[in-house]
Amino acid sequence: MTFLVQQTLIYAIPLMIVALAGVFAERSGIINLALEGIMIFGAFVGVYFVRYMQLAGTFSAAKESGNWLALQGLELLAMLVSALMGALFSLLLSFASVNLKADQTIGGTALNLMAPALVLFLIRILSNQNTLQMAEGDAASWFMIKKTTLGFSKTADLGFLGTTFLHKVYLATYVCIILFVVLSIILYKTRFGLRLRACGENPQAADSLGINVYKMRYAGTTISGALAGMGGFVYALTTANCTSNGDVAGFGFLALAVMIFGNWKPLNIAGASLLFGLFKCVAASYSSIDINGDGVFALADIGISPHFYRMLPYIITLVVLAFTSKKSRAPKAEGIPYDKGQR
Amino acid sequence: MKKFLAMILALVMSLSLVACGGSKTEQKPAEEKPAQTEQPAAPTEPAAPAELTADDIEDNMTSADGKYQVAFITDVGQLKDKSFNQGTYDGVKLYAYQNGLSYKYYQPANGDQATDDDRYDAMKAAVEGGAEVVVCAGFMQGGALERAAKEFTDTKFVFIDGWSLGLDNVTGIAFKEEQCGYFAGYAVVKEGFTKLGFSGGGGGTNDACCRYGYGFVQGANAAAAEMGVNVAMNYSWQYGASFSASPELQAMASGWYESGTEVIFACGGSMFQSIAAAASANDGYVVGVDVDQSSESDTVITSAMKGLSDAAQWACTKAFDGSWSEIGGQAVSLGAAEGSTGIPTETWCLENYSVEEYEAQFADVVSGKLVIDADFNNLEQDYSNLTLNII
Repeated sequence: MTFLVQQTLIYAIPLMIVALAGVFAERSGIINLALEGIMIFGAFVGVYFVRYMQLAGTFSAAKESGNWLALQGLELLAMLVSALMGALFSLLLSFASVNLKADQTIGGTALNLMAPALVLFLIRILSNQNTLQMAEGDAASWFMIKKTTLGFSKTADLGFLGTTFLHKVYLATYVCIILFVVLSIILYKTRFGLRLRACGENPQAADSLGINVYKMRYAGTTISGALAGMGGFVYALTTANCTSNGDVAGFGFLALAVMIFGNWKPLNIAGASLLFGLFKCVAASYSSIDINGDGVFALADIGISPHFYRMLPYIITLVVLAFTSKKSRAPKAEGIPYDKGQR
Repeated sequence: MKKFLAMILALVMSLSLVACGGSKTEQKPAEEKPAQTEQPAAPTEPAAPAELTADDIEDNMTSADGKYQVAFITDVGQLKDKSFNQGTYDGVKLYAYQNGLSYKYYQPANGDQATDDDRYDAMKAAVEGGAEVVVCAGFMQGGALERAAKEFTDTKFVFIDGWSLGLDNVTGIAFKEEQCGYFAGYAVVKEGFTKLGFSGGGGGTNDACCRYGYGFVQGANAAAAEMGVNVAMNYSWQYGASFSASPELQAMASGWYESGTEVIFACGGSMFQSIAAAASANDGYVVGVDVDQSSESDTVITSAMKGLSDAAQWACTKAFDGSWSEIGGQAVSLGAAEGSTGIPTETWCLENYSVEEYEAQFADVVSGKLVIDADFNNLEQDYSNLTLNII
């Protein structure tokens, strides 16, 4: 059970945060198809930052003396840097779709095409390989929080909640959850959030009340870019051993799907990504999942083909969509460049 | 805005220039040699020190006449996979460097989805680039190699992990992977581990990986029988078809470790990343493959090595010293007797199993006293002390 919860979170968190990135852009009226590209770019920047810091030796003393707080600081810094660069990267999309009034779908696709190429090009130059890795050690030994890092002994029993949420976890997961909650509140409960949503529904009306639609759309897309960039690094850190290879296994597109699946609403998105993450986790490790801890691997013992488990996440998504998509409603003005003269 | 864009572009350009410049600082002055040289070992520069390692030699060299005499065609996966491709290329580099030859690597287009045409194009590019010997890594090159070898009969081809194609200018070099798999399996069980895992690349279609796995199972069983313990092993080809790391592979490995598995044999180039990450998160251990991977992660307890670098050097020597006819058109299988299989003793970190015991066993394999079954079709049999759980 502990294993199931932890693995589900590992899959679901990047999806969740990147889907929220999509919400911020689309609610302000910009279709952000470039999520995948921004994730790839963010993953690269974060991994490069970690690698650079390792090579510079800034944190090697902390690593040796077991100062885990400093290492968590490095992790947070890397998240921050990848968020900043993700935001910067997304400015290209904002510029194209707000200032130049270009087709947003094409702008996003262009970024998606550009990001892996650019990232691979840079990785080639930087390390003469196709994959950028940490300079030393691996993600788990540097950044993972275990009970021993928290000062408990190796055999200490922390109970179910303790072992699930304090042992073998990444700080990034919790930072993402907190950010998700805070940003959802901002989107729904603050003046800024209301204005942002208004620009995605009826920008002309918003403008008539003195809201600067261009600024709002820039804000939405930039937040979106920052979240997607950070999500990319979190993905690389927790599921790819802190490596970057110009690929995030389609998580950006999955996040788009989760966003539509979740009807552009944060709470639904959280549910959708957890559901998807859960079945993704079952698919990969059904043979070693012990649900109630009695040593019986029920899912493996039923004797169903592994291919069935691998199909599950997608089948479930299809089924749920079939029932919910009728109520699904996109922001009304998304994808339409704002034109002041139009009525 | 335009100024800003122009500035960014200028920055990117200057940065890339700086980066390119940096990597060329240690350029090898092979330009002094004429391209069509026949003299065997007369490097124009001071002889390389004995402890020279392949890592000290640049991957990319520039020859004066734009011709590269020794070419290397990569398998799927990247050049620097710290495993199969890199190990083979190390041999190519070492040989070429020590003999003052020019060398170059070619990666077939389309990466993991490379077709025979892509591989043929790479070989053709190599031959047209002046290659006298083309080293091709990986059994998947067979089709393309046959076509290229028939067309370019003056060029010698070395087919690593391959077989004889019946052409005089091709030599197939295979390894007895079951031996190093056996050594590794025997060692980890002797060390005291009883719950093992095997995660193989190529989806069960790669003969080399199959032999590794089968040898690993046999070695574990033999050691368990000697010690009178029972060993369980998870055996899987899942998520390894492209030999690359993936979140799914990492989740699967984490699941194994979580449910008690202590050591996983990561049998495939970049797959190692996923398994090592899972091992590190769960305080588990990993057995590396092809080359000594202990420098890669603290979780590596031993590696099943095959002498890729040695084999590449050996074949290149034969190609250049006029004794090609000994191996041309043949298939060679290298094993312990040739020193081409084994586990690393320099980075030994096992405590309950000693180097002496390993060396005694190694000698038995060399002398033929201990014969390891190479026919991996026998994998699913009843083992005396091992439960095989094929997933």
